[in-house]
Amino acid sequence: MRDTVLLLAMNGLIWGLIIALIALGLSVIFGLLDIINIAHGDFFMVGTVLAWFSLSATGNFWIGFIVAPLIGFIIGAIIQRLVIQPIHGAAALSIVATFGLSLILQEIVRITFGATPRRMLAPIQGTVPLFGVDYDIYRLFAALVALLALGGFFLFLQYTRLGIWMRAVRHDRDTAIAMGIPAQRVYVLTFGVGFALAAFGGAVAAPITTVDFRGGVDVLPFCFMAVIIGGLGNLPGTVAAAVLLAFLEGLIQSFADPTIARISSLVLMSAVLLLRPQGLFKGFAK
Amino acid sequence: MSEPVLRTENLTRRFGGLTAVDNLGISLAGGRVHAIIGPNGAGKTTFFNLVTGLLSPDSGRIFFRGRDITGFKPHVISRLGIKRTLQVKSVFGELSVADNLWITRQARHRFLHPFRPAARDLEAKLQVEQTLEQIGLADLAARPAGTLSYGDVAMLEIGMALIAEPSLLLLDEPTCGMSPAETSRAVAKIRDLARTIDIVIIEHDMDVVFGIADDITVLAQGAILASGSPAAIADDERVREAYLGRPEDEDFVEEAAHA
Amino acid sequence: MTRRSLEIGMAVGAATFLVAVPWLIPALTDNFWVSVITEILIWSLFASSVNLLFGYVGLLSFGQALYFGFGMYGVAIGIDHVGLSFWPAFGLGIASALAMALVSGVFAVRLSWHYFAIITVVFSLIFYFLAVSMKPLTGGDDGINFSLPPVFRLGGSVFSLTDPTFQYFFVLAVVSLCFFLMYRVINSPLGKGFLAIRDNDLRASLIGLNVYVLRLIAFVMAGFLAGVSGALFAFFGRYASASYMFYQVSGEAVVWTIVGGAGTMFGPLVGTTLFIVIREIVSSHWEHHSLIVGLLAILAVIFAPKGIVGLWNGWMTRLGERDAAAPAKPRLTLQAEP
Repeated sequence: MRDTVLLLAMNGLIWGLIIALIALGLSVIFGLLDIINIAHGDFFMVGTVLAWFSLSATGNFWIGFIVAPLIGFIIGAIIQRLVIQPIHGAAALSIVATFGLSLILQEIVRITFGATPRRMLAPIQGTVPLFGVDYDIYRLFAALVALLALGGFFLFLQYTRLGIWMRAVRHDRDTAIAMGIPAQRVYVLTFGVGFALAAFGGAVAAPITTVDFRGGVDVLPFCFMAVIIGGLGNLPGTVAAAVLLAFLEGLIQSFADPTIARISSLVLMSAVLLLRPQGLFKGFAK
Repeated sequence: MSEPVLRTENLTRRFGGLTAVDNLGISLAGGRVHAIIGPNGAGKTTFFNLVTGLLSPDSGRIFFRGRDITGFKPHVISRLGIKRTLQVKSVFGELSVADNLWITRQARHRFLHPFRPAARDLEAKLQVEQTLEQIGLADLAARPAGTLSYGDVAMLEIGMALIAEPSLLLLDEPTCGMSPAETSRAVAKIRDLARTIDIVIIEHDMDVVFGIADDITVLAQGAILASGSPAAIADDERVREAYLGRPEDEDFVEEAAHA
Repeated sequence: MTRRSLEIGMAVGAATFLVAVPWLIPALTDNFWVSVITEILIWSLFASSVNLLFGYVGLLSFGQALYFGFGMYGVAIGIDHVGLSFWPAFGLGIASALAMALVSGVFAVRLSWHYFAIITVVFSLIFYFLAVSMKPLTGGDDGINFSLPPVFRLGGSVFSLTDPTFQYFFVLAVVSLCFFLMYRVINSPLGKGFLAIRDNDLRASLIGLNVYVLRLIAFVMAGFLAGVSGALFAFFGRYASASYMFYQVSGEAVVWTIVGGAGTMFGPLVGTTLFIVIREIVSSHWEHHSLIVGLLAILAVIFAPKGIVGLWNGWMTRLGERDAAAPAKPRLTLQAEP
């Protein structure tokens, strides 16, 4: 019994780190462009599919770690330019646009990849004894990669030119423009970055979950929970919330239905929305 | 002495480190037109926001005809008879000019009938037509309010204030952005209204202020710097220093005050 | 021909068509299209619930499927578990949808724009998962199948919804009644209040409108429309399933409404018709019709954000302005757009 709890809790923790990556992508899109991106779960799903295709094409799993975010970035940038920009990011219309996008992505994957879910073999097989439980090596590895990616992303935001621009535009758009920052370009690149983060999360998660055209549907609400509970615009908060929520859900799953776990997270999210919409974690507010 | 129309006690409101309204104790008597003037940031609009319930005070109380309205919600205060115009003109852009007036008239009732066709309310229709004549926008009645010129929007706002039959009317820079012709029209209208309604007006245009105000209160940094009749204010050294400051304005004020 | 008479002509034509469907369609094409049109009517009522909130009050709800689900389950559970007959089951469905709309609206309507949209989804997801997990009551994702009690007896004859013609007319009657109610509300003082709030809620509160209460009223009315459509759906399919409470269902209704024309009476009907017809025609040849739905949604928001009916109204207005000689006497534009 204790082993199951430990196992599920650790799975939750690791999954939380991966989701944190994806949720960061959503937070960046939501925080900067003010768009409720319904297709974000599908961005993750596309990442898993890209990983699958690059593995089948080259026989090398690791290539996926590069291919997925790269192609994801490009697709994201194109989408922003073609779809989001013409509607000037108008709120309600962008929700409909991202909903349409979600359908399109799912169908394109269904056409190219097929409708049957498939499993990907982990590149590293085997287990390692941890806290008295034999734990899957790849999961540990995935957690490490996710942590590194998270760290890398925060470094990116702090020190690269695009990262600084993104933070500036989010903080005060008009001043940023007045100072010569090309806001439109930042939006395009931001959407690309958001897609890339989610796709990378997908590539990392592919061996742990199934590759399936419906794979984004479950991830989406979770990302929103992390973003809302963590606090809109609060990136570290989003990461903390993602990890915490996944960990809690893992814990609850050890003695109750996974559905119950999901319902409790949703109830928590409602409470946050109603009582403290700026999120539970203090920090860099919008 | 009768109860003042509007009275505040120790009214204070801060925004972070800035004290926008500082222990304000204003008392405005009925039957007169009051102007509130002062440099930018003096707290004038904040004062209006506090009175109309858009902001709640950090401390202090607000009394409307003797009744404590501190902390009431905006729509409740509106129903009590206090109406205002906004500094940045704000009407219902997608509704027609006539509909703007119509809905303002309807909002006086607690209950909006869900099934009776709006067109049947003849009393409201009549009022709308009369008000359109009064503010001179009868030709533009069917146009969406968002397509109107700035001056016309300002007149529409005044019309909306009118049709609601307010007991106290707060005008926030009503002539801001108006051409001279529009300004005279607006001033005439306000003078007209002042015969039956208590009015408090925030203004920067000294011509307008000295033209219609019976009493002037000068605010600076959230507190009363001076108050009294237009002539008294025009002569007041402190006011000139804090607000007017420049010789050209001094002469102008003298002229306007003794006009 | 004036715009008014053109539109009245179209309305009469459409009404005649709708009444003639059970005889006209089988003569022209497959019988099966009668049930498609029935379905279209039901879903367009659902889309109207989205339209009432978004098009007239400015609140985008992505969770109307929740109230649809309550209407649907109210009927299914009422008939299957409680053994109710037709009208009480119908009543139960509508009442539970109304109650749920009131309870959730009290909380949801307090929130601003983005958070409102999000919480409507969250509420619907919570109940979706509850429905999935409470299998004994709701049949979970597989759903409940039930058989229909007779609607009423007249002398010796019994009318029941298993007769497709009667079913069609019943649905047509209920949906028309709901559209009529919506028409009255939109043109009433309450409806004008809604428009004012949608336009400028700050101004609205300053003129004395209680924004919170008015939004709540609209929310409950929308819940009513969604609940009725859910109940009709249960009767139509003799089936209820949790999958109809999922956010994708709500999302499709939003797309139908916006493509058809939000803020117009018949926009939802046009949008729903378009998408369901496309679905039926395309899916018999190609299984990826969702691709077309997605593409249309995106094209619509880029090129025709006011929707089909919105475009129509725009053309009509411009034609009218060109033809008009002198400006007419000031008219109060108190009629809502079709």
